[in-house]
Amino acid sequence: MLELNLNMKLLEMCSKCGACYSICPSCTHLPGYDPRQVVADIVQGKFEKWLSSSSIWQCLECHYCLEMCYQHYGFENAMTALRTIATKRGLNPPQVKRGWDMFAKTGKLGEPALPARKKFGLPEPSKSGGEELKKVLDALKDRRGKGHH
Amino acid sequence: MKEFAVFWGCTIQTRFPFLEKSTRIVLDEFNLPYKDIDGFTCCPEKSLVNNVDHASFVVTAARNVALVDELDYDLVSPCTGCVSNLATVKGELCSNPKEKAEVNELLKGVGREFKGTAKLQHLVPFFHDTVGVFAIKQKIKKDFAGMRIALHYGCHMIRPSHALRNDDPIAPVKFDNLIAALGAVSVQFPTKMMCCGQGLDRVDQHDLALQLARVKLKELKALEVDALVLCCPSCFLQFDNNQYLMEKEGEKLGVPVIYFTELLGLALGHTPEELGITAHRVDCAPFLKKWAECSGQAAASTMDDELNAQGAL
Repeated sequence: MLELNLNMKLLEMCSKCGACYSICPSCTHLPGYDPRQVVADIVQGKFEKWLSSSSIWQCLECHYCLEMCYQHYGFENAMTALRTIATKRGLNPPQVKRGWDMFAKTGKLGEPALPARKKFGLPEPSKSGGEELKKVLDALKDRRGKGHH
Repeated sequence: MKEFAVFWGCTIQTRFPFLEKSTRIVLDEFNLPYKDIDGFTCCPEKSLVNNVDHASFVVTAARNVALVDELDYDLVSPCTGCVSNLATVKGELCSNPKEKAEVNELLKGVGREFKGTAKLQHLVPFFHDTVGVFAIKQKIKKDFAGMRIALHYGCHMIRPSHALRNDDPIAPVKFDNLIAALGAVSVQFPTKMMCCGQGLDRVDQHDLALQLARVKLKELKALEVDALVLCCPSCFLQFDNNQYLMEKEGEKLGVPVIYFTELLGLALGHTPEELGITAHRVDCAPFLKKWAECSGQAAASTMDDELNAQGAL
């Protein structure tokens, strides 16, 4: 289960439901955002057109759909899967690439602001585990290279 | 109380060190057994890392949890996202022994093991459940009676509920209880539980991020609340920084944004300067002014004087 999978049977129900629509912040406030349509297209194998759409990046991952879902599934899973494929094809927003590069390089999304720490009398920041994490992520790559998926 | 490591997370340490300051102040005030430990990395951020590669998301979080498992500490974080992500992975691995074994095989290479024994808590439910409302009330030097606070829980303080299990995921109460303990009124309003929308800023959709911020801030302006109180650096970024950006463009909404640790710190007698409230982008002076007025007006109870007065029989 380390690799992402979708449950098409649950998604089929999801495409016909909408129990989460009245609470989903993007459904209620972003005109044109319609996850049920996205899910219906996934189920029918027609997801390609969504890969370059800004719509799939508008899921806020607030997990309301998961909480409201009768199947305890939520369309967020579908959005995450589309984002992953879009990123593999280089169709991601530029900021995602910048964030990922920073994470891959340092294991963090930023370094402690040292002058401000001094100003507020904060102690030296703890040591980062970035180097160790890199080894783990490299081991993950190796494992995939050997055909474990 | 069990010792616990504080997971500061990238956003607080990179962008808002003053939030670390006020968190340390309130932890010290209650003599809580917190530790700074070496070796943490990004939690990692779900909307970034999980979208790109689920396996990297899982092993990174598992490694962070392994660090506290090993020391037999619990973990507390003033960041909702960090706790939610770590708990999500802990839940996934604890319910899937095969995946847990796969992850531990990878972690073994660096001498770590994910057990999933550490309790992972956000600071707000931690203060509610572990420190306790009563202990907090006992320590208050100056409460917020007469103040009207709008609460923003932050989605990831309470969701996903199967992983966090700390409050009702749709209608939570713990943060409200803490506000009441501090003497303020937690104003109920239609968009109270709406997501802040900061996530849109991370995917190059800044205008839509502002659009979502505007929905809540406009409502709060109309309700004339004294402050918006929250405890998530991402929500803070959305409501403080982005509100400031709107202000610079001529749209002044004037809703002071206060972190839970700052509110608590003020009640315990610390100054706004010490707590770093003066480092916010949106001016908090109106909030502090109202507070000074409120405490000026509050009639001191004469109960103790009566009880101690002479003349019984």
